[in-house]
Amino acid sequence: MGGLNLTENIALIALAAALLPLFSFVFILLSKKGGGANFALASVSLSLVLSLYLFSQLWNTAPVHQQFSWFLIGTVQFYAGVLLNNLSVLMMVMVSGISVLVHIYSREYMKNDPNISRYWAYLGLFCFSMLGLTISDSLLLIYIFWELVGFSSYLLIGFWYSKHTASQAAKKAFIMNRIGDLGFLTGILIIYTQFQTLDLHSLFGDGGLIGTSSIDGDLWISGSQQMPVIWLSIAGFAFFLGAMAKSAQFPLHTWLPDAMEGPTSVSSLIHAATMVAAGVFLIARIYPVFDPLILDLMVWIGAFTAFMAASIALTQNDIKRILAYSTISQLGFMVMAIGIGAYSESIFHLTTHAFFKCLLFLAAGSVIHQLHHYCEKNGHDFDCQDIRLMGGLRKRMPFAFWGMCIASAALVGLPLTSGFLSKDSILIRAFEWGAAREGVFVVLPWVMVLTSWLTAFYIFRLIFKVFLGESREIKMDRLVQINDSPAQMTSVLVILSFFCTFIVFDSNPVSFESSWLWNGFQISMIKEISIFHWLIPLILNFGSIVLIFVAYRIYVRDKGSNKMEVSWLYHVSNREWYFNEIYNFMFIRSVEKLSLLTYRFDRTVIDGLVLSVAALTKIISSIADWFDRNIIDGLVNSAGSLSRYIGRFFRNFQSGRLQNYLTTMLLLMLSFFILSYLI
Amino acid sequence: MIPIAHFMLISACLFCTGLYAVLTRRNAIQVLIGIEFMINAAVLNFVAFGRYDKISGGGQMFALFAIVLAAAGVAVALAIILNVYKYFKSIDPTKTNTLKD
Repeated sequence: MGGLNLTENIALIALAAALLPLFSFVFILLSKKGGGANFALASVSLSLVLSLYLFSQLWNTAPVHQQFSWFLIGTVQFYAGVLLNNLSVLMMVMVSGISVLVHIYSREYMKNDPNISRYWAYLGLFCFSMLGLTISDSLLLIYIFWELVGFSSYLLIGFWYSKHTASQAAKKAFIMNRIGDLGFLTGILIIYTQFQTLDLHSLFGDGGLIGTSSIDGDLWISGSQQMPVIWLSIAGFAFFLGAMAKSAQFPLHTWLPDAMEGPTSVSSLIHAATMVAAGVFLIARIYPVFDPLILDLMVWIGAFTAFMAASIALTQNDIKRILAYSTISQLGFMVMAIGIGAYSESIFHLTTHAFFKCLLFLAAGSVIHQLHHYCEKNGHDFDCQDIRLMGGLRKRMPFAFWGMCIASAALVGLPLTSGFLSKDSILIRAFEWGAAREGVFVVLPWVMVLTSWLTAFYIFRLIFKVFLGESREIKMDRLVQINDSPAQMTSVLVILSFFCTFIVFDSNPVSFESSWLWNGFQISMIKEISIFHWLIPLILNFGSIVLIFVAYRIYVRDKGSNKMEVSWLYHVSNREWYFNEIYNFMFIRSVEKLSLLTYRFDRTVIDGLVLSVAALTKIISSIADWFDRNIIDGLVNSAGSLSRYIGRFFRNFQSGRLQNYLTTMLLLMLSFFILSYLI
Repeated sequence: MIPIAHFMLISACLFCTGLYAVLTRRNAIQVLIGIEFMINAAVLNFVAFGRYDKISGGGQMFALFAIVLAAAGVAVALAIILNVYKYFKSIDPTKTNTLKD
């Protein structure tokens, strides 16, 4: 009995943790006072406390599944409830933890915004959707929260909606995500058709329906249901499409760099903990549904995305855009890792990435924030996000500089950082997987290594340009006016820096196998090859350090020579592989052309038809009108005028004049005589 | 001897002249004169046909009667014209058109 109560309590606590930010959202929207910073922070902090409690209770124990009957359609009962396993409690802590830090940071960062209470409300909604997504126990519920995440990100990206680019970016993010949502929905429908349930536990749990369904020849059989085996692949692809949109994988990645139009704190939240993680989370949650075909597709899409995004990040000049492409690249790593079956490595990287990417964004935000202050104070106007205009900020903003350095080291995967453990684990797995496969698959690990090296180059290019060298836009003597951000912001940077080190995740700085987090998800199914475990990190780090040194030579010693800017490779990278142009050409233009065509069709054929019918009617009616006026009316009128003429004629005889009467008489008599004479 | 046709021709001319005067004159007196012409045309015929009458003098008798009656008629007609003039302040027959509908 006691056990049952515990289960119930835990489900209620999880529910409370998810609902607190929603409560804050509603409360802040309804309150007239404005503000709401304290309330939002309090509710999300409480969420974090509850999540930590759940984490301590449930980590590495049996999953807790609590559900109640939701509604009935026909004879089919739908359930809603809470499913807590290692994955969801980890995500809960991550989401609420990052959210708390972003909330603290935003108090300072967004201080002077006139619509600040709306900001807090949206953040609450965002956290609620994400927490709800992590604890939901059925695909239908996940879908609902999935949509809510998309919607609240739309609100936040377009927070400064009076800015045209921001509202455009919000729309782009929303539309791109809708494409993915369509996939997700398709997947749900296929799963429901096959299994008549959407419950995660009974579908994907131990001995779940997916596991027990079998493939017999061309048929995919589950119980009495069966359908062609292709539908399994389609379902997998559909779910993957959903994840692709949320996690910004090629070809649905273009919304993410544009989403940088929102406030930096929001970018940090979207990139680190919530939105983009949702895609990887979904793949992890429903992992058994993917068949080998789709897993291979994931590998290629992930690897391609990672490489492409890294190559684009090399030449971008907007500080946030570089970080955005870095996120896409890292998500590519995660998706590829799941594709090769390195499930735990992927989740591990998702978690470490959340912290160091959050730190990168918040440090960048700190730089932008201080430069904005400088601009406002001195009436100096320049693009505060353009790294070409920055430089020499190291001495003035040590917290931001060191925070950025630690996070970058983690992103590159230098030793002693969390990234070293998670990223290298993915690469080791990739090599082990490649060794077991043949043909083109052998190339794949090397692509990832190359991507990893590119990462080292672009992120240190950013650091060198922003913090080292000499200031390019602001005069050296004015530079003293710039200081590190206020304590609320720097304290967040310090906390996050701590989470970027190996200590939080592992006791041993060089071996991911001893990490508690990695061990929490032991379902890797790749044959281990021990030589890779020391060789790969060595190659990686050696290459990275060489490239960092090269970056140092180019951007600090040689003051960033522009020799590269003439090559076509530079242009391809700088223009983001022309994806926006291609999409513009392929989809927007063609849709525009199609609509122009239909418009013309409408104007000429449909309108023409209508108009010609109208003209015809007009002609017929004018004929009828003419007929009516001249023939019908003519008959009536001529009858009338005939009688009038006759009347007038006879009236003449009644003139009242005697002589006329006599004349008449005479004429009548004469005619009588003439007639009688003639006859 | 003068042939009868000449008499008839003259009387026809007289009659027509009278008739024309009756139909066209714009003065009631002149209309009356036209009537007298027509009566005299008839009287002339009586006298001319009386020449061929077996009972001699019949035509002349009728002519005398007719002249007397015509004189009486003229008296009555003049009285009427006088009254018309009193009533309409005109003896133009075209102005006395109150007979019309």
